[in-house]
Amino acid sequence: MGVIVKKVELGWLDRTYVWPVAKGMAITFGHFIRQLLTPTARRFTIQYPDMKREVAPGYRGLHELKRFEGGAIKCVACFMCAEACPARCITIEAEEFGDLNAHQGFEEKRPKVFRIDMLRCIYCGMCEEACPKDAIWLRNDYEVADYDRLSLNFGKWDLMNTYASADGKAVITQDPTPAVPRRTIAV
Amino acid sequence: MDSFARLLHLSPPLAWMALKLLIVIGGVMGIAAVLTWVERRGAAMMQDRIGPNRAGVKGITLLGLVQLAADGIKFFLKEDVVPPHGNRLLFTLAPALAFVPAMLGFAVIPFGQSFSSGGQAYHLSLLDPGNGMGMLYPLAIGSMAVYGILVASWSSNNKWAILGGMRSGANMVSYELGMSLAVISIFMAAGNSPVGSPVTLEAYDPHRIVEAQEGLWFAVRQPLGFLVFFTCMFAETNRLPFDFAEGESEIVAGFHTEYSSMKFALLQLSEYIHIVTASALLVTLYLGGWRIPFVPNPGVLLSVAAFLAKLLFLCWVFVWVRWTIPRFRYDQLMFLGWKVMLPLSMANLLLQAWLMHGRGIA
Repeated sequence: MGVIVKKVELGWLDRTYVWPVAKGMAITFGHFIRQLLTPTARRFTIQYPDMKREVAPGYRGLHELKRFEGGAIKCVACFMCAEACPARCITIEAEEFGDLNAHQGFEEKRPKVFRIDMLRCIYCGMCEEACPKDAIWLRNDYEVADYDRLSLNFGKWDLMNTYASADGKAVITQDPTPAVPRRTIAV
Repeated sequence: MDSFARLLHLSPPLAWMALKLLIVIGGVMGIAAVLTWVERRGAAMMQDRIGPNRAGVKGITLLGLVQLAADGIKFFLKEDVVPPHGNRLLFTLAPALAFVPAMLGFAVIPFGQSFSSGGQAYHLSLLDPGNGMGMLYPLAIGSMAVYGILVASWSSNNKWAILGGMRSGANMVSYELGMSLAVISIFMAAGNSPVGSPVTLEAYDPHRIVEAQEGLWFAVRQPLGFLVFFTCMFAETNRLPFDFAEGESEIVAGFHTEYSSMKFALLQLSEYIHIVTASALLVTLYLGGWRIPFVPNPGVLLSVAAFLAKLLFLCWVFVWVRWTIPRFRYDQLMFLGWKVMLPLSMANLLLQAWLMHGRGIA
């Protein structure tokens, strides 16, 4: 395969070198002035800790475990997310609770332990898709960092409160209804 | 103003000299230091970036100027590495050899209009006019600057450094010819002071050169010479597009590959001082020194302000050019130096001589 080499014929003005330099200087000067006069908010650079990038809709960031208005967790501990998770980062232990009411969606099972190892999570969103109750969402917080591994092992209450301040919700650390001892079914 | 004049009359000449020294050295060092900031922020602006603006004391960053202090402190705290197979004495001496000539060139530059007070003339240049050296002094000293780079590269005992020093030496020698010839046509045009003026000044005295630019600046009268001198100044200061001594992409960091800590800082600072001195030379020779267009006698303060404004603008042009034009190839540099700059400079000399002959001056 042959390559056609295009020869550029320079005019006499371009061959003086002075004129192209002047053109180049004009370009850099234009950039200089434009950047100087652009307010910081509208420059290309997002100065990170002070300014943050607006994430695209559908962005998969830090998880949130959803709750009902009364504060009860929506999760019914069905283990679908843990099954779907390709990184195997979700650990669930279920428990039962007695009082059935509208606020809790007439369920009687909920997670006692719901842990996501954030260092293992690949933010694929499979848990969100697998969830039959829409109880786990991946939202737009991308600043998941800490100084040691253990603090990135997020538990149930960490995950339920991840967006509490952003959404103006109360930070909760307790289920509204107590758990009941495991019932044995008499046959 | 009166009390200032009285103080001037009462104090010994040495005090006046010390004051000038303070102004010149402090001014040049200050401008050179700020120039490092201008370079970094200016480069950022030209490349649509932000530049260093984080260093600060309690959130006060002064547009990033605090970065200068941070850099200085950092350089002091860095380990000072001397290459084991290098020449230790020369290695230590080289930054000073680069720094001093860059600084010395400023000694004869008039940075403001001379004034007389109490029957005595005061000149705003470190050396008074009529010292017999004139403009030849900064040119001679300027050639010494190559020793700093050569010694630095040789004593490093490093291949990159040697290559950088070799290139820089060739670069400076080739461009000095064209530069000197351009300056000669300035001396021709300036001529000696006319008979009857208070002080008779030789044509090569910078005060005479500024005096001669009362009507038109030499940049307008000798555009060709200005272009040649301007280009050669970039070669002399080792700045892009002629920064062969460094050439990061080809020879690591060239002559200062082995340098670290304050020695490196001094080499870097001497480059910026060189820029200030080169700009001062350009202003004096071609841009009318302290003169303001259409103002015959601007007075001391205004003339110093005018000189400073021109100087700062030219310093900025050095930064501006650096971020516009890429580095030449080595053979292109030699081609430009010997086959373009030198003939152009000679042509300028002949043209000026012919024009002067036509006007019946010589």
